[in-house]
Amino acid sequence: MAVDMKMPILIVDDYKTMLRIVRNLLNKLGFSDIDEATDGTDALTKLKSRRYGLIISDWNMQPMTGYELLQKVRANESTKSLPFVMVTAESKVENVIAARKAGVNNYIIKPFSAEVLKAKLKTVLGDF
Amino acid sequence: MTGKGRLDLVERLTNECIDVCLAVLRGRKYLAPLLDPSFRVHKLQRAVNEQKTAVGEMESAVDRIMTAVERMSEIDFTDSDAAAQRVGECCIEVMEACCFQDITGQRMSQVSETLGAVEDTLNFLSDGLDESTLPESKTLLNGPALPGGGMEQDVADEILADDEGKQEARG
Repeated sequence: MAVDMKMPILIVDDYKTMLRIVRNLLNKLGFSDIDEATDGTDALTKLKSRRYGLIISDWNMQPMTGYELLQKVRANESTKSLPFVMVTAESKVENVIAARKAGVNNYIIKPFSAEVLKAKLKTVLGDF
Repeated sequence: MTGKGRLDLVERLTNECIDVCLAVLRGRKYLAPLLDPSFRVHKLQRAVNEQKTAVGEMESAVDRIMTAVERMSEIDFTDSDAAAQRVGECCIEVMEACCFQDITGQRMSQVSETLGAVEDTLNFLSDGLDESTLPESKTLLNGPALPGGGMEQDVADEILADDEGKQEARG
C-alpha cells in the first residue's frame, strides 16, 4: 500500500535547530503535515488531540525523555501501534537494545544524512 | 604572663589547631571526588576531549556549509531544471551540516556539567564548608560519543535486525 504523504507526523526534539532540520528534510521527501513538540510531555499532549501517522523523536530531553515517551506511547491502546523512530546522539549499544525492547521501529544516530532518514522511513512506512 | 595565663593561651592555641585540622580534614573529604583519578580521567579529560571535538565539528560544519554555498554561487541558471536540482542538493547539504548544533550543544553541556562540579566544590570550600550549599548530583545520559568511541549507524541497524530475527524465530 502506498504511503500517505499527507499523514500528520510528530517530530520531538528540544533543539529548535534539529526540529527545523528534520521538518525541512521531511518536506524535501514529500511529507507536508508536520507538527513539533519540544519534549515527551509536550508530545503526549499533542498525541491526545490529534491522530498521527509517525513519531520521530530525540532521546535526551527534559522533563520527559524520548525513551519514556516511547514507553507511554506503547502503553496506550490508541497509540501502541504508531510507528516510532528514535533519532539521537545516544550511541550506546544498551540504548539501542532498550529502545528496541520498548518497541521502537527504527533508530537513527545523529548526525545523519537525508539519505539515511529516507531509508529508515522507507523501512518503517514502506516505499514512497 | 602568669602560669594560668600561659595555660589559657596554650589551650586556646590547641583548640584553634584542632579546628584548623578538622576543617582541613572536612575539606579533604569534599575535595576527594575531584581528586579521585576517575573524576580526572573520566570527567575532566572527557570535558577537554568534548571541547576539542566540538571545535572540530564546528569547523567541519562551517566548511560543509561554505562549500555548499560556493557550489550554489557557481550554478549555471541557464538550464533551470538542472539548476533547481543542484540548488536542492546544496540545501540538503546545508541542512545536514546544521546537525552539528545539536551535537556540539550536548558536548558543551557535558563540559558545563564538569566545570559546574568543580565550581560547586570550590564555592563550598570558600563558603566555610556549609553543606547546605552543596548541590544534588545529577545523572545525565551519556551524550554524543567521542571520535572512535561511538556506535555507527550500521551497528545500530544490526542490533535492531538481530532482535527482529530473534522475535520472528520465537514466532
